[in-house]
Amino acid sequence: MKPNLYQPINSEITDITDESPTIKSYVVVPAEPFKFQTGQFVELTLPGEGEAPFTPSSSPADTEKMEISIMKAGRMTALLHDCKAGQKVGIRGPYGNGYPIEDFLGKEVYIVGGGVGLAPIRSLFLTLVDRIKDFKSVVCRYGARTPEDFIYKKALFGPWQKINGVDIKLTVDNADGQWKGNVGVVTTILEPDDVNIKNAVAVVCGPPIMMKFATLKLLEFGFAAKDIYLSMEKNMSCGFGKCGHCMIGKYYVCKDGPVFTYEQIKEYPKIWD
Amino acid sequence: METVFISELKPFLDSFAGEMDLYVPKKTGQHFVFNRYDPAAETGMDFNNIRVCMPVKEFLFPLRDLAAVFPEPVEPEEIKPFAVFGLKECDLRSIDILDKVFAEAEFEDAFYIARRQKMFIVSSDCFEPGESCFCNVIEGKAYPDHGFDLNVARVTDGFVIEIGSRKGREFVGKHSELFTKPSDEVLAERDRIRAETLEQLERNNADMKFDMPIRDIMNKTYDSDVYDEEAKTCVECQACTRVCPTCHCFYLYDTKQKDYFAKMKMWDSCMRMAYAQVAGGANPRKVLGDRLKHRLMHKFVYFLDRYGLQMCIGCGRCVDAEAGEVDIRAVLKKLNEELKNTKVTK
Repeated sequence: MKPNLYQPINSEITDITDESPTIKSYVVVPAEPFKFQTGQFVELTLPGEGEAPFTPSSSPADTEKMEISIMKAGRMTALLHDCKAGQKVGIRGPYGNGYPIEDFLGKEVYIVGGGVGLAPIRSLFLTLVDRIKDFKSVVCRYGARTPEDFIYKKALFGPWQKINGVDIKLTVDNADGQWKGNVGVVTTILEPDDVNIKNAVAVVCGPPIMMKFATLKLLEFGFAAKDIYLSMEKNMSCGFGKCGHCMIGKYYVCKDGPVFTYEQIKEYPKIWD
Repeated sequence: METVFISELKPFLDSFAGEMDLYVPKKTGQHFVFNRYDPAAETGMDFNNIRVCMPVKEFLFPLRDLAAVFPEPVEPEEIKPFAVFGLKECDLRSIDILDKVFAEAEFEDAFYIARRQKMFIVSSDCFEPGESCFCNVIEGKAYPDHGFDLNVARVTDGFVIEIGSRKGREFVGKHSELFTKPSDEVLAERDRIRAETLEQLERNNADMKFDMPIRDIMNKTYDSDVYDEEAKTCVECQACTRVCPTCHCFYLYDTKQKDYFAKMKMWDSCMRMAYAQVAGGANPRKVLGDRLKHRLMHKFVYFLDRYGLQMCIGCGRCVDAEAGEVDIRAVLKKLNEELKNTKVTK
């Protein structure tokens, strides 16, 4: 028999961190070294319960363990939120294409994120800053619903902001008394001169509605559709283009994505639904 | 292709016993299904003029299948060689299509491949096409020219058997006492039946003449209301995807057993409301007409773009199985019509 595509690698959740009221981060240690590229995703199995796709938020440089941030959004994620450290899980993957880092070399990388969309972006960010000199700059614009809803708060409010070559701006939809920054959805902090569009790529990841309006804004700024990279979220189940659930037109998000340029998918209707 | 002749089927079918399980067509009510052949039974099989209602995918990719066991993986049960008698040209093309998906180089589905390798295919010529048969419109015909180990064509006094593979030749060699050389007359009769059946198919489907490849029609009429209109009688029974030999969507789910966990694989249907839904409720195809459109676009456009084959074989099983009145042929005809009318008005 050929190797079984559906066999998960036995793994264990070794640590769980509360990031926000709805998001937790999990350290997952697979029984064998696990390689992935930033932006690729894994299928995480909760034994006997089910499986769901997540993009690791950690750097691919660490093959011993990975971090996954999970927002409570449905049945599986609710079950995962009830898990404790020590929980045995399964990992399949990595699947999909990931971010084409080599195409970003020498350019300004304009990252627009929202909510739990910062998870895949964190992995990308860590990969970029690891070799920051290879890129012109990394410009991040990130929004959360309230200050409490930001994830990776410690890094985000501190060390990341101080990295040379990195420019981070944050916003919240609804502020509390403490918040001194911008109030408004993430598109309100996007400015045409944030980056030099002629030598920049944009990476967008977040809730569909935010991705839609961020993409429209970027197009308005003059970004070419081929320079806007979107992390699409669909119902990826098998992970290798067979089960059919994640199709956008002729594409399997699991196999041809999850990272697409807007150019690739703009013709298809309801991509944001 | 090399041919041999037999005057009776029973000794031929019996010769499979002892070597492998043989599945043969059997009439139950109005329909034919595949049953395991029992040499001792008085009526071993019923010869099927056209495809049986069971799609061949059931042999290669069962309705429900074990996908993985963990934490301790187990070697899957070894698949024993088996033979299927009475597959038709359309069925063989459905295997070509499934091969593209499950035997794709980078991601080979071990379970599918194991079954595929162990399957001995005895196909047979069609005659008297069914009301819903429209294979000739989708590059098909009433008899196969590849993809079988042996192919059986019924003639008045017996059966002409074509050898289509090394496995087929070995089988014939091993049971050489069963076979004789076909006469020129029986070969001529077979060819005449083939031509007649094809003509009959063409007559039956004379109204399915398209002005351009179906792919182009569908691309040009993407925004058509035809899908919403046609979906009106759909009751979401999902029978169309269930009997379709090329539909291969599946659903993975996990179960808890006494000593282990199992990941299972079960057929799914893109016509199901929650099929594409993600956690949080977003769903790109909430509307039934959109699901019908996606299903047909996948068949005639997306799959063709990706794999170079249309994902419909024209077998008409979906037309027969429908609890509503959705007819894939009618959808195609209406789209073609619509395109024609738009052209006129422009």
